[in-house]
Amino acid sequence: MNSRTTTPKVSSNHGLLNKDSTRATVIQAVTLGLVLFTLWYVFANAAENLDRLGMSFGFDFLSVTAGFNISWSLIPYDPSMSYWRVFFVGVLNTLVLSFAVIIVGTLIGTIVGIMRLSHNPLVSQLARWYVEVVRNVPLLIQIIFWFTVIFSTLPAPRQSYHFFDWAFLNNRGLYLPTASMSISGWWAALLIAVAMVSLWLMRRWSANVKRETGKHPQAFYFALVVWGVAVVISYGVLSQWLSWSIPALKGFNFSGGAFLPASFGAAFVAMTVYRSAAIAETVRAGMQSIDKGQHEAAFTIGFSRFQTLRLVLIPQAVRAIIPPMTNSWLAATKDSSLAVAIGFPELVSVFMQTSINQTGRAIEIISMVMGFYIIISLLMSYLLNRYNERVQYKVR
Amino acid sequence: MSASKYTDNSAVKRFKAAPARPPLKQNRGVFHILRQRCFNNIGNSVLTLLILLGGFYLIKGMLDWAVINAVFVADSRRQCMEISPDGACWAGIISWFNGLIYGRYPIEEQWRVNAGFMIAVAWLLPLMSKGLPLRNFVLLSWIGLFPFLGGYLFLGGQFGQELGLLHGLMTSLALAYFVLNYLNWGLHKLGKQGLHEVFVPVLSQWIQRRVHLTSLLLVWGALAIAIAFGLTQVSLPSVAIERWGGLFLTFIIAGFAITMAIPVGVVLALGRRSKLPVIHWLCLVTIELVRSVPLITVLFMAVTLLPIFLPADVEFNKLAQVLVAVCIFAGAYMAENIRGGLQAIPAGQYEAAKTLGFGYWHTMLLVILPQALRMMIPNIMTSFISLLKDTTLVSIIGLFDIMLMARNIANDKDWIGLHTEPLVMISILFFVICYGMSQYSLNLEKRLKVDR
Repeated sequence: MNSRTTTPKVSSNHGLLNKDSTRATVIQAVTLGLVLFTLWYVFANAAENLDRLGMSFGFDFLSVTAGFNISWSLIPYDPSMSYWRVFFVGVLNTLVLSFAVIIVGTLIGTIVGIMRLSHNPLVSQLARWYVEVVRNVPLLIQIIFWFTVIFSTLPAPRQSYHFFDWAFLNNRGLYLPTASMSISGWWAALLIAVAMVSLWLMRRWSANVKRETGKHPQAFYFALVVWGVAVVISYGVLSQWLSWSIPALKGFNFSGGAFLPASFGAAFVAMTVYRSAAIAETVRAGMQSIDKGQHEAAFTIGFSRFQTLRLVLIPQAVRAIIPPMTNSWLAATKDSSLAVAIGFPELVSVFMQTSINQTGRAIEIISMVMGFYIIISLLMSYLLNRYNERVQYKVR
Repeated sequence: MSASKYTDNSAVKRFKAAPARPPLKQNRGVFHILRQRCFNNIGNSVLTLLILLGGFYLIKGMLDWAVINAVFVADSRRQCMEISPDGACWAGIISWFNGLIYGRYPIEEQWRVNAGFMIAVAWLLPLMSKGLPLRNFVLLSWIGLFPFLGGYLFLGGQFGQELGLLHGLMTSLALAYFVLNYLNWGLHKLGKQGLHEVFVPVLSQWIQRRVHLTSLLLVWGALAIAIAFGLTQVSLPSVAIERWGGLFLTFIIAGFAITMAIPVGVVLALGRRSKLPVIHWLCLVTIELVRSVPLITVLFMAVTLLPIFLPADVEFNKLAQVLVAVCIFAGAYMAENIRGGLQAIPAGQYEAAKTLGFGYWHTMLLVILPQALRMMIPNIMTSFISLLKDTTLVSIIGLFDIMLMARNIANDKDWIGLHTEPLVMISILFFVICYGMSQYSLNLEKRLKVDR
């Protein structure tokens, strides 16, 4: 106390504790220590609890026979297969559902987003209320609504709706015809590859011609001809080996063809509608971010409204739309986990619910499922960032 | 040479604009707009007519189903079908209405739920008057103290027995603060200075110093002790958490998520922008991990892994697990909103704060965060809306929120198979709340717009 008044100690302000660097080190050390301690505490508890319950930690359960059925899978599956197979079935089902939702949702969303900017007040109001209603009602309610109210009340298999006796829709799901070839698929793949390569060469050639002569060769029509020829040849060649498998009612159920369960239909429709509303908002915001002068310039040089949209507005709006669109697609992938509520066998349903109940390996299974979603989201944001870099304006 | 030409005003004839002519008569009015926008060519006319026709049939169909052919009074779904086979059966909803709102909360105790929500709203009412002394503490105390009071009201139990000591003390503090809060507001309305000034003259006679906040703290503490003694005398019958449900539970989860999102989000966002690598990476990894997984997996994790990761003797009910999960999830999303706001603050603001000699926390709390949060209000409100919608997910892990209560109606033996009406009803409810919130956010955005 007394010394403070008599000897002015300058060093008290420059003490070890008041240095920024020391403080930073101390804070970080304390944080790191706390985190490590928490981790240790959590793992010690987990070890003790698992011990007490007579369980162990490890991924060896993955090769054990699963023993339960999965209602729908893309790859062949039966109950005698291992948990690895269950994991892949879940992953594939999740990917198929989210991919379908992303494609169709983006298409519908773009159309609705453009409709919102229509001059016709009826059209724009229709689009507006579609978006408002859809995005203000929780997705889970919509999924369950489509499943219990629409898809489950479709007629029974005997009275199913049909499309020229080729495709059938009933309360179990959608039955579609499939084509199978008796010769190896390599020939078909070869034909497609030839068509692709010729298309690519055509594009390069037309670009070259345009660069050198300034004239635009009608590459599109050439490409159409090439594709037409390819299709005709392939059909002519392959049709004798091609056999259609058409679903037919046998007893109480359909056999043959491909099957999409009602839970897939309900999840797909609900998520597509929900996603399209979100994407419509993204598209609208992107279109509105374009300067008004662009509309006027396009009008001045005599573009029609459709031409203005296709040649002037959309190419520019894409740059503003892509970052939020990426987020929307990622959200669609994550939202596909909600299909668990109606029993669609996607990853969370088959792996996180059924498999945890069967094996009790909660830590391993949850980390695998979360790992899958983390990898997907990292991959998607990486790819779309690369694409984004390519379409952005090159600012000099 | 040209200068003289233009400076010579007399030679220039004064230009006088003619008054603007009114717009052509034929270009005005509803009919003109209709002709210009709805019927300007064949395609558009067809489109207009199609939408009008479709809209008419849609609205007519909905009205027929929901109002005209609907049944409001019936004892069972079968009776509904007999009265009107193709109308809505709202009678089922009406008979389950109490369950949809309160879940399986005992009817004679439901006043406690109402009281809790009314206190929650009443707590915030003093915020309406600008310039209220201690205004910041109203919101802080609402976040920090009200949950204990709400918990006490909803759970019930005797102070010192079922109700833990800490919980009881916090409840008393909350009640005491609530009383002081209203005293403070009343004094402010009467034109007085505010509560913390009132006790100063009294106390300063005893301790011979003008202490403002300490005097208030003393009064608060004394009041709390008195209330705690009072609480030991009353005993509310305890209601198990398993009986909570319906809209009540939805509001609890959503309210908790919304109030915790901002503090957790601020901490994570500041951590992510920190210059200390350990803190930066810790927050970054937390935010990115939580944001890249679906909420349902976080909920499953909380329900299955929390019991494994905590000591065996810690008792954890499902609601608490869900609240922890939702809190982390909401915080991670909010952190990205707030980070966007922090990045939009010009560097001059940081430099100005530094020039004034502010440290890190003063800079952040007094200068940066108020601006960042205000700037991000639209995004924050959007996050709140999606949080409210996401609370329906707790029905998947078996909490009886409004979604699961609504689905349960179809399992009641009287109303078996009644799926459509409950779903439509809660859809309308969510639509009204979420649409109202988004419109309010637009309004707020306009009002709080700051021009730089």
